[in-house]
Amino acid sequence: MTVVEAMERLWPVEVSPRTKYLRTIWAEMARVHSHLLWLGLLADAFGFESMFLQFWRIRERVLDLLEMTTGHRVIPSVNIVGGVRRDISPEQKKVIIDTLEIIRKESDSLVKVVTNDYTVKARTVGIGVLTKEQAIQLGCVGPVLRASGVPEDVRLTKYQAYGDLNYEPVVETAGDCYARAMVRARELFQSIDLQLEALAKLPEGEIAVKVKGNPPANETVMRTEAPRGELLYYAKGNGTRNLERLKIRTPTFANLPSLLISLPGCELADVPVIVLAIDPCICCMER
Amino acid sequence: MPLMLPTVLKNLFTGYATRLYPVQVREPFENARGQISFNEDKCIMCGVCAQRCPSVAIDVEKKKNELTFYPLRCIVCEVCVHVCPSDAIDLIFKWRSPCYDKPVEVYKSTRVELLRVSAEEAKKEEPEKSD
Repeated sequence: MTVVEAMERLWPVEVSPRTKYLRTIWAEMARVHSHLLWLGLLADAFGFESMFLQFWRIRERVLDLLEMTTGHRVIPSVNIVGGVRRDISPEQKKVIIDTLEIIRKESDSLVKVVTNDYTVKARTVGIGVLTKEQAIQLGCVGPVLRASGVPEDVRLTKYQAYGDLNYEPVVETAGDCYARAMVRARELFQSIDLQLEALAKLPEGEIAVKVKGNPPANETVMRTEAPRGELLYYAKGNGTRNLERLKIRTPTFANLPSLLISLPGCELADVPVIVLAIDPCICCMER
Repeated sequence: MPLMLPTVLKNLFTGYATRLYPVQVREPFENARGQISFNEDKCIMCGVCAQRCPSVAIDVEKKKNELTFYPLRCIVCEVCVHVCPSDAIDLIFKWRSPCYDKPVEVYKSTRVELLRVSAEEAKKEEPEKSD
């Protein structure tokens, strides 16, 4: 979505309101799937295997929704410059709303375990603490930054349909692994709310506009809030078929320096939890 | 752990979350992007699909009248389906089955083959006429 929107700003192309809403819905679906995946992996990091599989079982429902609406389970491939490839039909809308309610109900009982369980707290509270000042200095993004008490979220810039939706960033103040888990758990429910709101407000209209020609000689920066944090694309066109430059900064790249503060002095058994708390995606980072 | 108990007890009395694959297979959704298929009758070997493919899964050699497709490289992004000027590429919602070797599929365009054969025949006939 980010690269497509960067290209649209390069031209510039104005997309229809329906496109914006559809992109928002799919982006939030991806967030639900990513946060459920992360919560499962967190449980796995300290050896709570049954919770790990329970979270992944719920995640299957979101993946099914993505497959039903976009055709793919994890990477939707629906965004094209000027619009989207697929539409959400009224029947699909009904299925999505029903499934989201089931996901909310199922996640609720599991998130209660993450919030209150003694074992989970013993392994996360006070581990890998990052203060507000340190998080800002190291340029952290996404849930890691918000867990340290900074209400910073790119969705506040009101890209896509976020301007029309009732959105406020989820913030925790402790800055430890438990706070990061709480931010993601609360964002999970917030994301379901955002999807339901977007589905209720989904306007009618075209889903794609035709874009012709090569990218013009222009440059642009696009930031979006990926599930892991701020994702930045810089694109520079020169009027030919190929771009002159395309720079991608992924959230893991921004969050990695925080390990310099949170890792030293920790116990060896806490290393998986601390490293996982930034939700690392090494293949995204290595560019 | 006691907080997890209701979920654990519930699981004891509900069905399996997994299926006995491959005996029991979940049918893909109608919109699912399973794989792409080439129609040899419609293809004109223009090579647009090969140019636009982001994962370099298609290779077109017009002179040889050969379209080589590497299915394991394909990410089923649907770009080729949309750019094909002769609608020769279709999207099938069934997934590919697992395989031991990396398959390589070679297609020949019937149209281009016919044109090539007729051109060769015309070439053969030409010297006879001149004689």
